[in-house]
Amino acid sequence: MKTTRRSLVLTGAALAFVAGIGLTAQPAPAQAEYPEKPISYIIPFGPGGESDITARLQQPFFKEKFGQDLVISYKPGGGGAVGWATLNTLKGDGYTMMGVNLPHIVLQPQQKDVGYKTDDITMLYWFHYTPDAIVVTDDSPFKTLQDLIKHAKENPGKVIFSGSGKGTAPHLAQVRFDKLAGVKTTYVPFKGTGASVAALMGKQVSAAMAFTTVAANYEKTRLLAVAMEKRHPRFPDVPTFKELGMDIVSGAYRGIAVPKSTPEPVRQKLTAMIKAVNEDPAFRKKMEEGGFAVVDYAHGKSADDFLSSFAKSVTASAKEAGLLK
Amino acid sequence: MAGLEHLLAALTPINLAFALFGVVAGTVIGAIPGLTATMSVAVLVPLTFAMPTSSALILMGAIYTGAIYGGAYSAILLNTPGTPSAIATTFDGYPLAKKGDGDYAITIACLASVIGGLVGALALMTLAPPLSQVALAFGSVEYFWLAIFGLSLIAALSEGSLLKGVAGGALGLLLSCIGVAEVAGDVRLTFGLQTLLSGIQIVAALIGLYSIPVLIDLVAQPGHHLQVDSGSRGFRLGEAVRYLWGDKINTIRSAVIGTVVGILPGAGGSIASLVSYSEARRTAKPGQAYGKGEPGGIIASESANNATVGGGFIPTLVLGIPGTPPDAVILGALLVQGVRTGPSLFTNQGEIVYTFIWGLILATILMLPTGLFIGRYAYRTIITLPKALLVPAIAFMTIIGSYAIRNNISDVIIMIVLGGLGWIIGRFGFTASPIVLGLILGPIAESGFVQAWTIGTATDDRFGMFFGRPISIAIIVFTLFTLLSPLVLARLQKIKEQAHAD
Amino acid sequence: MPTEPRSDTGGAVVSAILIGVACLVIWDSMSYMDKDSAVFPRTFAGVLIVASAAYIVKWLLGRGEAGPGADTGSLPRRVLLVGIMLGGTMAMPWIGFIGAALPVFAALTLVAMYDPWTRFRVLVYPLIGIAIVLGFFYLFREVLQVPLPTGDLFDS
Repeated sequence: MKTTRRSLVLTGAALAFVAGIGLTAQPAPAQAEYPEKPISYIIPFGPGGESDITARLQQPFFKEKFGQDLVISYKPGGGGAVGWATLNTLKGDGYTMMGVNLPHIVLQPQQKDVGYKTDDITMLYWFHYTPDAIVVTDDSPFKTLQDLIKHAKENPGKVIFSGSGKGTAPHLAQVRFDKLAGVKTTYVPFKGTGASVAALMGKQVSAAMAFTTVAANYEKTRLLAVAMEKRHPRFPDVPTFKELGMDIVSGAYRGIAVPKSTPEPVRQKLTAMIKAVNEDPAFRKKMEEGGFAVVDYAHGKSADDFLSSFAKSVTASAKEAGLLK
Repeated sequence: MAGLEHLLAALTPINLAFALFGVVAGTVIGAIPGLTATMSVAVLVPLTFAMPTSSALILMGAIYTGAIYGGAYSAILLNTPGTPSAIATTFDGYPLAKKGDGDYAITIACLASVIGGLVGALALMTLAPPLSQVALAFGSVEYFWLAIFGLSLIAALSEGSLLKGVAGGALGLLLSCIGVAEVAGDVRLTFGLQTLLSGIQIVAALIGLYSIPVLIDLVAQPGHHLQVDSGSRGFRLGEAVRYLWGDKINTIRSAVIGTVVGILPGAGGSIASLVSYSEARRTAKPGQAYGKGEPGGIIASESANNATVGGGFIPTLVLGIPGTPPDAVILGALLVQGVRTGPSLFTNQGEIVYTFIWGLILATILMLPTGLFIGRYAYRTIITLPKALLVPAIAFMTIIGSYAIRNNISDVIIMIVLGGLGWIIGRFGFTASPIVLGLILGPIAESGFVQAWTIGTATDDRFGMFFGRPISIAIIVFTLFTLLSPLVLARLQKIKEQAHAD
Repeated sequence: MPTEPRSDTGGAVVSAILIGVACLVIWDSMSYMDKDSAVFPRTFAGVLIVASAAYIVKWLLGRGEAGPGADTGSLPRRVLLVGIMLGGTMAMPWIGFIGAALPVFAALTLVAMYDPWTRFRVLVYPLIGIAIVLGFFYLFREVLQVPLPTGDLFDS
């Protein structure tokens, strides 16, 4: 009985101690203007992914400019769908925002019932995209894209692309590539970009349909072509698909959205803050070094126009690819 | 030894403080079911931006290894793996605790974890570049066969009823299909329920299937949860060391298995501990009662899972491909710091890497005293807490823990429902472990299969793809060995007895 | 211990239910767009059917395994445990985390209590309960930065 009592008291004391720490860890008293407290930045994927890394790159710039932390939390599931489905149930007070990705929010609602519709998402800003690119290993026999196309023509179905998931940006890019290059390649889906690159490096596949960021982050890889309008500043020697006669400009876009209930003036303020971070030259440099391509489509006409034209073209591609009925 | 000067760099007060803090915090966090090593590392990432890279790595590595060890506490005392890597620890840890030897089990777990962690870290220090090639040699097909090998453990675990075990395993595999299919983009088995769109989260299922039945049974009867024989018996360190010395082959082998599995991208502590447990069980000496409280089972599991820490860093640092889920988070943190991983990391920025590895070794060594003390405290608390407080406390922890995985109430509801159902079918002989095995290995088996099938079809060599590669053949042979050797040995034994009788 | 093996009806019933589950899976798999998605579910639904059916056959032949022992322990408490946990969890979006956790903890203490309520216990147990709930709440919310649900009822 004595030991029980002692243990109980000790346990209680320990927990009260923790509670005490918790109480003293409250944020500092409010300053008068927005933002008065940290802003919650929800990533609808798990930690360690590209969306997470992007958010972490934005964090210090945000803190420096506006004095408040971006508190990153995760709500993974359904390839992002779980997070986006709950977006409008969150508080629209200007202290909650969520990462958004294309083509996900356009394609997902059309493919199946995921709990949200594209129009439900209140966009604030599209800040970058990772352009699609064909990645090979340094020692690959394909020195240029033409080599690959030639090989594919002579051996239909034998050129194997690894890519992240099915019905995703890489898959769409591969289907479009097949059509425009007039070849038949095989696509093997992997769980995430990392796994598809691992397969490439393990020589399981001939090439990876991935992103420019891959070559930036993995040694011993190089790009055969990028899906951009102009060449990427970090890879001046790599041609665009357009230069080689194929109109492929695509990639995975990232942006930020808020719950629908957020009032318009707050939306404007938050947009301006994100814009400030995105326009910071040091930030842009970091993005470029990482292989990202910065864009600036802000809340309002700019973002709306971009989204509707993107949705149109991507839906058409997906239908051609047989991913949509 | 590589870079002794880096050892001194690792011994700075700051780095030592990080190592100590990391190990303690990690152990506590890992002990709470629902909080995984991945999560605990993710929480620390923002703090690391302001630090020098090697200190950041030491902190994250220390938390990681502490968390993997901490999972053993709830595995042993509450039959709930605190982290998925401790699943196999429940097989023998909980029975030992029920017999009154919980403190012994915790000490064994601590020693095994430290040894496993050291082996993994030493492999990282000395053999990283060549070992990273192992990561690349494992293709989709090898993952598929490895998953099948893991599934063959079901046969061993379902003593008494092979059919029920197979059914349970198949059920687990089907449960793993719920949600968005990785390989195909279809939404499967949700039957229109939004809750199930994200599938059944493994940690929530673990907590539900393992700890809810324990709670249900605890509540039904008076009397203490774990019997306690006598008063304070110290750490039983001498006893534990003697056992480990006697079982050293198991310990070292498990550490090696853990290191290798850690090297494989996407396979982490859970797979390592299951494979290692399977092997330990297969090579058990007669008289060792695996599954009923044999310390060797704890050694196999804990040694392997801590070895994945060091092993997992090998592909992470050398190739930039995360070896285990926490490594993905660490990689992200490194990227933000501007550190480029790759073979040149070891040569150009050797001081960062080697300082870190020494720090990891130090943290692992520090885990011995801290682990023993924290374990002691945990043990005494669970033992002395009256049931009327223990049950609500555990129930509360399972709720908050399973919520914290994905910040999703659905996971909590799934956890409770699975737990209730699991208890019911458990009463009729369908145990939890085969279902959990199916749930964990399902995605690996499926993606490995579909990928290998697609590649094999494209190269017109399906048979060669599945059965022609050397590593695959080795795994298939091992699987057959594991499945058949008990039967063969039993048959040989019978023949011997009959020969004697004649 | 009973002297003869009891007929494991429960096991057979569960097996039958599992066969039903497997059929549901096969039915669902017919609506998939990509044929790759259906391979796995169908294969293992098949395995489930074979294993469950084999067990039922075994049971019918009188060679079923030993059934569960006599049920010791109080069923009402067991049901209450699961019910309280489930109810509290589902109420969380409305009454918030603390709002649900404290009553759940209190209720479960009552369900698990077998010893008499001494004055000491009446005082100390609730205090410890509150300390545990609040302690973990702060640990998760502040240290680990997990956004625990705040109740809609208490929102402005």
